Amino acid sequence: MIVNKSFRQNFSSNKKFFFDLFIFILLILTVSLLLYEGSEKLGYNWQWFRVPSFIFTYDNDIFIPGPLLQGLMVTLKITGLAFVLTFVIGLGVAILSLSQSFVGNSLARIYLEIIRNTPLLIQLFFMYFVVSPIFNISGFWAAVIALSLFEGAYASEIFRSGITSIDKGQWEAAYSLGGNTKFAYINVVLPQAIPRIAPPLAGQAIALVKDSALVSTVAIYDLTMQGQSIISETFLTFEVWFTVAAAYLVVTLLLSWTLDRLARSFKSAW
Amino acid sequence: MYNMQKRVTSLDILLLTVIIGVLSALSYYFATKLNYHWNWSVIPNYIYRYDQVTGHIKAGQLTQGLLVTLRLSVWSILFALIIGTIMGIFRISPRPLFRMISSTYVGLIRNIPPLVLIFIFYFFLGDQLMSLTGITDLSYSMEDKDFPLLTFFFGPIEQLPAFLSGVLTMSLFEGAYITEIVRAGIEAVPKEQWEASKALGFNRTKQLTHIILPQAFSQSLPTLAGQFISTIKDSSIVSVISIQELTFAGQELMSATYRTFEIWSVVIILYFLLTFPFSIAVRALEKRMNRHKQM
Repeated sequence: MIVNKSFRQNFSSNKKFFFDLFIFILLILTVSLLLYEGSEKLGYNWQWFRVPSFIFTYDNDIFIPGPLLQGLMVTLKITGLAFVLTFVIGLGVAILSLSQSFVGNSLARIYLEIIRNTPLLIQLFFMYFVVSPIFNISGFWAAVIALSLFEGAYASEIFRSGITSIDKGQWEAAYSLGGNTKFAYINVVLPQAIPRIAPPLAGQAIALVKDSALVSTVAIYDLTMQGQSIISETFLTFEVWFTVAAAYLVVTLLLSWTLDRLARSFKSAW
Repeated sequence: MYNMQKRVTSLDILLLTVIIGVLSALSYYFATKLNYHWNWSVIPNYIYRYDQVTGHIKAGQLTQGLLVTLRLSVWSILFALIIGTIMGIFRISPRPLFRMISSTYVGLIRNIPPLVLIFIFYFFLGDQLMSLTGITDLSYSMEDKDFPLLTFFFGPIEQLPAFLSGVLTMSLFEGAYITEIVRAGIEAVPKEQWEASKALGFNRTKQLTHIILPQAFSQSLPTLAGQFISTIKDSSIVSVISIQELTFAGQELMSATYRTFEIWSVVIILYFLLTFPFSIAVRALEKRMNRHKQM
């Protein structure tokens, strides 16, 4: 904000910034110390030294991934698979909702309304407890399908806004070259729309990592579930939860950083 | 695609054939292969039941769960609004300290899965706070029927500590999203408004409370209302910390009755019925505000 900038200039020189940074770090340290002490007073026994063995261990110089690392792999696998499906579903639904077809429009509309007005957890339960026994789908795929159906609804809105942001003249040009709608989509519209769509879609991928934690409720051994099972065995509630949270934080921050860089190079390439 | 004339296209016919094909294959499958006896007659009991002792109609488990979901969402969004407004103002503060605090808060909350956050808040904060403030002890000493108003607003008193930690967790979580909405709302207010109010001799607090925030809130009203819908949906996650809302009621009934298919179908419909009117209202609100802009 421009107003704030002028404010900032009066207010904060470099000195001020480092002073505030110092106070901030002090504040964080105090709060964490208070929480630490408070929990110890309530009879909690901190045992951070036990945590590394849950991440990985060395046995005769052989790297053995611990349960948390295995869980992280499952989380990443689910996220990756679901993202591919999300992309397909999102694009498909966006094209359906932009088509002239009445049935296509209604189909897209019904799908969007159902997905966006019910919680993901319930969709997951529905998929796992109702749909998967009927069609004999494994729990893992039920979770992946539920996640991608959910994210697909949001991705389709991103695709739709990207496609409608393309100038009308581009369509007319494609048609006047003698192409049909398929030609227009593949050769003219989508190549222009996808670079615009990339940043919000990257945000959707990060949301997918976070939402994938919910699959632990249907007994899939992802990072969260591994955390829960370690806690039920060892009662290291806080240590394990903080480690799990930090792992998610690292994954999402790394992902957003790389996707940001990718999107930037993508933009300059176009 | 810009030809808006409504007519039957080839895509229509294709999709219709696919839909009819899938539906008939499904019904054939249901009729012949699926070994499940549908029994919808148990469901109404869980929505309302007739109490033979008092002769009144009482809310069933699912309705009670729905009420808890509503209470939880309303309280959470109220507290989240308070947290979000404070943090949103911090976010645009000239002091780096305040900006650091709020961006750490938002960054942490938005990059950790809600499920994990809920576990951490519940075990770490909820437990400590509830026993520190003595609410746990208080809840044991009170009876439901002595405090009808309290029961109306917060639900059964025996569940009060769990409910409050649920509200605390949800509001800290939704607060991060509201922070961003408030910040965007404040940034959308033209800078002339700041300059004009400064020229009138307002200090920063007065500028915010009298000039900037009213405009920011009225502009971001649809987004805030949308966040309320998200709160209702996210509240299903607190079922993992045994707060007896709709999802929890569904899980309990499932393990008690084994009517898995019927119960989850009903629960999903109940959530839809709860949020869909809000969605329509939000869309209407958005339309109205945009119309005002065009004029």
